[in-house]
Amino acid sequence: MSSYNGRMIRLNLTTGKSQVEEIPRQWMKDYLGGRGIGVRYLYEELKPGVEPLSPDNKVILMMGPLGATTAMSVSRMALVTKSPLTGAVAKSVMGGSFGAFLKFAGYDGIIVEGESAKPVYLHIDKDGIHLLDAAGLWGLDTQQTHQKLRQKHGKSTQVACIGPAGEKLVRYAVLISDLRCGGRTGVGAVLGAKKLKGFAVNSSGPLSLHDADGFKELTREIIEGLKTSPGRIRMSDFGTSYLTLGFEKVGIFPVKNFQEGHLEGIEKIGDEALAGIKTKNDGCYGCMTRCGQVRQVTKGPYAGAVSEGPDYETIWSLGGNLDNTDLGSLIAADSLCDRLGIDTVSAGNTIGFAYELYQRGIITKKDTDGLELNWGNHAAMMTLLEKIGNREGFGKLLGEGTKRAAEQIGKGAQDYAIQVKGLELPAYEPRAVKGYGLILATANIGASHMYGRPRDELSGKKDKLTEVDKGQDAAQAEISQATQDAVIQCSFGPVTGFNPQQRSDLLVAATGFKEFGDPAYLDKVGERILCLERCFNVREGFNRKDDTLPKRMRTEPLANAGPATGQVFKNLDGLLDEFYDALGYTRQGIPSEVKLKELGLDSVVADIKKFAK
Amino acid sequence: MSVRLKLPPILQEFSGGVETLEASGRTVGECLEELEAQFPGMKESLFDRQGHLLRVFGIYLNSDGLHPIELDTQVQGGDEIVILNFLMGG
Repeated sequence: MSSYNGRMIRLNLTTGKSQVEEIPRQWMKDYLGGRGIGVRYLYEELKPGVEPLSPDNKVILMMGPLGATTAMSVSRMALVTKSPLTGAVAKSVMGGSFGAFLKFAGYDGIIVEGESAKPVYLHIDKDGIHLLDAAGLWGLDTQQTHQKLRQKHGKSTQVACIGPAGEKLVRYAVLISDLRCGGRTGVGAVLGAKKLKGFAVNSSGPLSLHDADGFKELTREIIEGLKTSPGRIRMSDFGTSYLTLGFEKVGIFPVKNFQEGHLEGIEKIGDEALAGIKTKNDGCYGCMTRCGQVRQVTKGPYAGAVSEGPDYETIWSLGGNLDNTDLGSLIAADSLCDRLGIDTVSAGNTIGFAYELYQRGIITKKDTDGLELNWGNHAAMMTLLEKIGNREGFGKLLGEGTKRAAEQIGKGAQDYAIQVKGLELPAYEPRAVKGYGLILATANIGASHMYGRPRDELSGKKDKLTEVDKGQDAAQAEISQATQDAVIQCSFGPVTGFNPQQRSDLLVAATGFKEFGDPAYLDKVGERILCLERCFNVREGFNRKDDTLPKRMRTEPLANAGPATGQVFKNLDGLLDEFYDALGYTRQGIPSEVKLKELGLDSVVADIKKFAK
Repeated sequence: MSVRLKLPPILQEFSGGVETLEASGRTVGECLEELEAQFPGMKESLFDRQGHLLRVFGIYLNSDGLHPIELDTQVQGGDEIVILNFLMGG
């Protein structure tokens, strides 16, 4: 008995056939699940150089060993593919309930491969796995798609789908389940290229556990502790919106495409203002925190708009980054992104890039379909989001992301594309929090806020502005995040779930694998996952040159950013050396043979020798 | 009233790395005012531009209650005020 079903659905869209296959038992021990097993499949099955939007790319949707159990904050789903934005390994983690019900149906994940000749969706129920015609769904937004699929298969159907943006290959399109996104790196575009509109599952469990009584007792203890946890209650009351004002104070919150760190009128989109229009909480399967904040605009031109959010990242991307403090537009834009199926971080960052080009005269109204892209113009932002999601006019170019758009525009536009490896930066100013900057530079998926957090730096235990002695912390943060994404534990897990020892105890009770009882073993799993992702990238030609930060961060003093004013990221090279040393990589950012063998990755040594540059 | 005040790491840069301090006042707010007098700059880090306590901080009295307390909460001699900061992103 184990919480692993041990079974994957392999869906070949070219043939229209699906089959069920076993997950290698050793992979469960070596990679746990979620992002870990997903990356192992991707490395094994993708040849180097595959075009991300071609039939040869694959998407792995993968649950973790605790998913669908009664433990807190664990029923999330990892999405792994090769990113159409970066050409690198991609991972995103989606909340909601879809993954839990996939496990109840008897599967730990789905491998999607090939390409369908016509739009289809996958339906899973007690009678089996069915690939069905999606002609009636193609073109619908994500909410309409959920509604249609529930009309057809029943109200309790759990759905994950793409929107028009995924269908039209916007490079930062998402997969969305209810209002939870598999957000970053463009998995929605990969599914759109395969003409797979989405997934629907009807199931009811139960899930087996190795030691059901022990698991129940552990969960009971954890829940008792969480009831009075101040951090959990804070998340439940405000979501991540409570970070906005505090981060802006210390210069972390970027404004006007990272030109400065001060947002006049920020309180209009701060936690208090958002709490004032909150209508209810929402959350993922089996989580008592329910950090999702459903908010409704009550007055003004956006009256009636409803969204679950925006979270801190979106308050920034569609708010502060555009010098926009109009609360109603923020809710409406967040909702629009969800319906179109686009990543709010990349979308807002890309629009900020366009606004700065307009500010500098690099583009004009002739280029923007007549739109005046002045800072704070939220009406133009709404129009651009529509254009991006539907790939119309100027939005078609912006749907390519900042890196490609800048290359096409030329005229020095590259200097204002705030991205790493092609993935747009999130709401953390690297010049104000240097260890975080190092993580954004080195993350194998590009500049994601979901690839590790330097907790000592953010909490003040370590100076944010120094540029030495940060490599070890950044390496450990990336390892910890990899373990967390393999379990899969929510990123808020340490306050909304359980600590590392409790995590180990839960894993043993759920799976029966004694090895998982040692947190150090799980740390090693995280390091292995991180290393294999890097190996995937090495095979694609990535090396040290790609672990960088935008030119702005390395050359321009940060303006108007409280204690971080005047900061430049000067010693990235030194920090990269520290980071590589901490992980056992060469100074070119390539995992050493010794490290590969230490992690049991002997099978990839030949690849690394062949492809390392 | 003299109370013990416990600071999170992010505020300890103002107190020279000291975590636990003595402060006096009739309310939590008055105790924080005295803290500012002892360590200039600390208040600036605790409050937003409108003078409201930043939500990245929570103030707890004797670890009681599920929710943080208000600044006008009365204190007694020997009480312990704990300031927590919450820094989960996403």
